[in-house]
Amino acid sequence: MLKLKNVKSCFTPNSIQEAIDIHKKSGGKAVFVGGGLDITVFPNPAIEQLIFLDKLGLTYIRDDVGNIKIGATATITDVTKAPVMQNYLKGKVKIALTELASELLRNQITMGGSIARHHFYSDILPVIYALRGKIMVSDGELVEEFFVDDFYRNDLKVLMETHIVVGVHLNKYDDSFQFGSKRFVRNATDIALLNMAILAQIEEDIIKDVSISVGSRPGPAYRFEQGEAFLRGKKLTKELAEDFESFTKSNVDVTKDMHLCKEYRQHIASIYAKEMLLDFIGGVR
Amino acid sequence: MKVCYSVNGKKKEFEIKAGEVLLDVLRRNGYFEVKGNCYMGTCGACTVLIDGLPYTSCTMLAAKVDGSEITTIKGIGTLQKPHPLQKAFVEKGAVQCGFCTPGIILVAYALLKNNPDPTDDDIKKMLDGNLCRCTGYVQQIEAVKLAAKMLKKGDE
Repeated sequence: MLKLKNVKSCFTPNSIQEAIDIHKKSGGKAVFVGGGLDITVFPNPAIEQLIFLDKLGLTYIRDDVGNIKIGATATITDVTKAPVMQNYLKGKVKIALTELASELLRNQITMGGSIARHHFYSDILPVIYALRGKIMVSDGELVEEFFVDDFYRNDLKVLMETHIVVGVHLNKYDDSFQFGSKRFVRNATDIALLNMAILAQIEEDIIKDVSISVGSRPGPAYRFEQGEAFLRGKKLTKELAEDFESFTKSNVDVTKDMHLCKEYRQHIASIYAKEMLLDFIGGVR
Repeated sequence: MKVCYSVNGKKKEFEIKAGEVLLDVLRRNGYFEVKGNCYMGTCGACTVLIDGLPYTSCTMLAAKVDGSEITTIKGIGTLQKPHPLQKAFVEKGAVQCGFCTPGIILVAYALLKNNPDPTDDDIKKMLDGNLCRCTGYVQQIEAVKLAAKMLKKGDE
């Protein structure tokens, strides 16, 4: 079964500049290939050229001052096995990434591909949103940095004509921060109907800072800012978790009524919101 | 275009189309032990090892893995000298129609390479991407555990 019937040539450039030049010359008929999963699963007949990014040296995962720097072609498996990720936010980010898709697919999915494609079904984007990841893009000469929220305010079609996502930087958070994530699926390779992640800074039981992301299909992940405002400055208790459950149920935007009704999705989101807060308290259910 | 792979230890050149996936190239060249089914990476029947890691060959662009070492189920054992995993799958009744079995064994092979003493949970998580519609999964887990024991005893 020839999936990409119109592909005529493949390129493996040795530099970002070379990759971008090939892309520009293609007149919109070339596509950058990180792992290539979405390109083969959702083949686009308009594609005539494939630009493999394997030789750009972007598979690194570096433990840097204040940041974990992850190259765009690092796979999810690479990230979950990296020494720096083992205890990052008490190992919770590693667990979140290990639970998405299957080992077979995690070996192929790249961080850059997930970010650049902005697929509605991505389980990686809610994690990056909650962690306030910084997306690094390059035009071959300069590297620009965008907070994930700002990155998706760009017209990606235009930006990706002249730039490549070269990596993502994750802040190193101290022990006052806790992270949790949840996804609603039937099996490993299912598209999650709903996914959610929370990063919270808790000092003396007070939620000093928090970021929450929600993805509800067919919409892509977004920051649940109302939820963040609701929690910020409050004392983390079992009662607050229950209040937040109700708040989430009433206020979370589950985008559309797809597969399961809106009310059910709101219910799932509210349960996840409560469970993650209870986990932050210490597993009291 | 031409690519070169080492398949089951033998270097070979293959003529491919630029947009082809690895599964199609392998089957066209006689590697029928690699099964095609979902073509979406969801069933795991087409699993091969690429440089030692398991991938769904139906989602892997053939041109992308030029120069790689590819291992199919025939690369880990033969009828005459089966791998402990292959023996264990027969012994535990973990094979029925057999369509999904090559993929499952290759994923289990990759697991045991890195984790010679896996728990049930480790096995379940690793086999999460491989679907079986007839045998069920209990026998497969038992088979992987038996193979781990055989390998510990040095039964290669």
